[in-house]
Amino acid sequence: MIFTSFNFLIFFPGVILVYYLLPEKYRPGFLLLASYYFYINITPVYALLLAGITVSTYAFTILIDKTKAEKKRKLFLIINIIITLLPLFFFKYYNFVNNGVFNLLQSAGIRWPLPEISFFLPIGISFYTFMALGYSIDVYNEEIKAEKNFGVVALFLSFFPILLSGPIERATNMFPQFKGRLVFSYKKAVRGLQLMLWGYFMKLVVANRIAILVSNIFDNADLKSGGSLFMAVLLYPVQVYGDLGGYSLIAIGSANVMGIDIIPNFKRPFFATSMSEFWRRWHISLISWLTDYIYTPLSFQLRKYKIWGIVIALMLTFLISGIWHGAALTFIFWGVLQGTFLSIEAITNKKKKSFVKKHNLDKKKWYIFISCFFTYLLFAFSEIFCGPINSMHKAFFVIRKIFTNFGGPLYYYNPSMIIFILFGISLLFFVEWRMEYYKGAFSFLSNKSWVVRTLLYALLIIIILLIGVFDGGQFIYFQF
Amino acid sequence: MESEIITGQLTSIFRNVFNDETICLNNEITAGDIGSWDSLSHMLMITEVENVFSIKFKLREINKLKNVGTLIELIESKLT
Repeated sequence: MIFTSFNFLIFFPGVILVYYLLPEKYRPGFLLLASYYFYINITPVYALLLAGITVSTYAFTILIDKTKAEKKRKLFLIINIIITLLPLFFFKYYNFVNNGVFNLLQSAGIRWPLPEISFFLPIGISFYTFMALGYSIDVYNEEIKAEKNFGVVALFLSFFPILLSGPIERATNMFPQFKGRLVFSYKKAVRGLQLMLWGYFMKLVVANRIAILVSNIFDNADLKSGGSLFMAVLLYPVQVYGDLGGYSLIAIGSANVMGIDIIPNFKRPFFATSMSEFWRRWHISLISWLTDYIYTPLSFQLRKYKIWGIVIALMLTFLISGIWHGAALTFIFWGVLQGTFLSIEAITNKKKKSFVKKHNLDKKKWYIFISCFFTYLLFAFSEIFCGPINSMHKAFFVIRKIFTNFGGPLYYYNPSMIIFILFGISLLFFVEWRMEYYKGAFSFLSNKSWVVRTLLYALLIIIILLIGVFDGGQFIYFQF
Repeated sequence: MESEIITGQLTSIFRNVFNDETICLNNEITAGDIGSWDSLSHMLMITEVENVFSIKFKLREINKLKNVGTLIELIESKLT
């Protein structure tokens, strides 16, 4: 069941109704049942995998907590990390590694084929695996006590709003909420519904409509002009933002309606003036997870090498991020690109900051605009390798064509398509621009007058129904 | 070493690492209060603190730091 399906439109109000009709003490238990029903509804058998990881995480965190000897604690943590990661490796990376080893052996004249696996990747596995790992490491680092109530751990790993594509939550944020009072808050519920509405706009009006044009261009790259390919490259980041950003808002909003707070996943990323700032605004839950559990331990171990230690830690962290996104050379290259961008910024950071300060550039609008645009260009260029094109050969073909054959007709599907795309993007950017630079003065969907609020809700719903693309398929991040 | 002396030395480390001569430290200051204090510059600052005070931190200790006050307490505990 996905957020844009008809089933979810019945499931969600039904869950909310029963949830608030039930006495408070039964609500977490009901949420657990509803979450497993939500997951079983997609692929029943994979719910066993989720349950298995939950049991293992629960048992080993209790063992880590009870054990005094440091060596034994570490051993329990390592065993749990291996058990938790095994299904992810099996489903996501087995064929990639298998093909790699096969090709390597073949080049040495040895033929030793292993069978290919043709299972579908269990949806959400990359997300709940990271949540389970994060919780285990937090218990090992004594940042949280191991939870003795199995239901709380099970609900944390299966909570349906965030199960399929995050945000990647932390036990330190979720456990106190599940164990505390789950009561109705009018303010939170209204905020949640507003976020859901805006999330649906981002997904159905912005992302799904851009997806039609962008996939049409990339799927027929050899027939399209360099200018059309460049337009698709520029549009793709907005598509991903509308997709994952929209999904995140629906997830956060639906949790809010149940009185539960979820960490934000995006903070107006296209207003970032550098790549390091961009990564503090884009897919925040994944990046903060990678920072806490990969980058910080690595940079700590390598700190004697000063800036070069940071560069190595950055490269490795984004390499892992690329591999997390998918088992393909394109994703690995994407990770290397991001690591390189950030490393260059880390090395030049001090000089750049002095220069900006000396000339007071950070107050100048033209400098901010150029910095935002340049950051956007860098990200858009790197995204060629993160999803829309599935081979290195084709990705470089697209880049070559943009630089060598830019002319020719600009492909725009049909006039209404490009008009609707521009309308959706303009509205999205206008709202975000106001929120970025006019904090407090702009109360989109939260206007004090209920007449204005109601009109805005109605207008947004009409826009979604009229312009939204409802058969746009799944969310991009379900494949990860 | 007294906490005022530690704060003084820490201020000069912060000004140098975060490239901001206007930084004045107090116990309540967190990464959110200093624009250039991010995860990249954080480890450079930690390394500089280790070198200046001739101490070694553990990763677990670094992870538990909440603000400048907890950093000063940690340095004090290492020096005594």
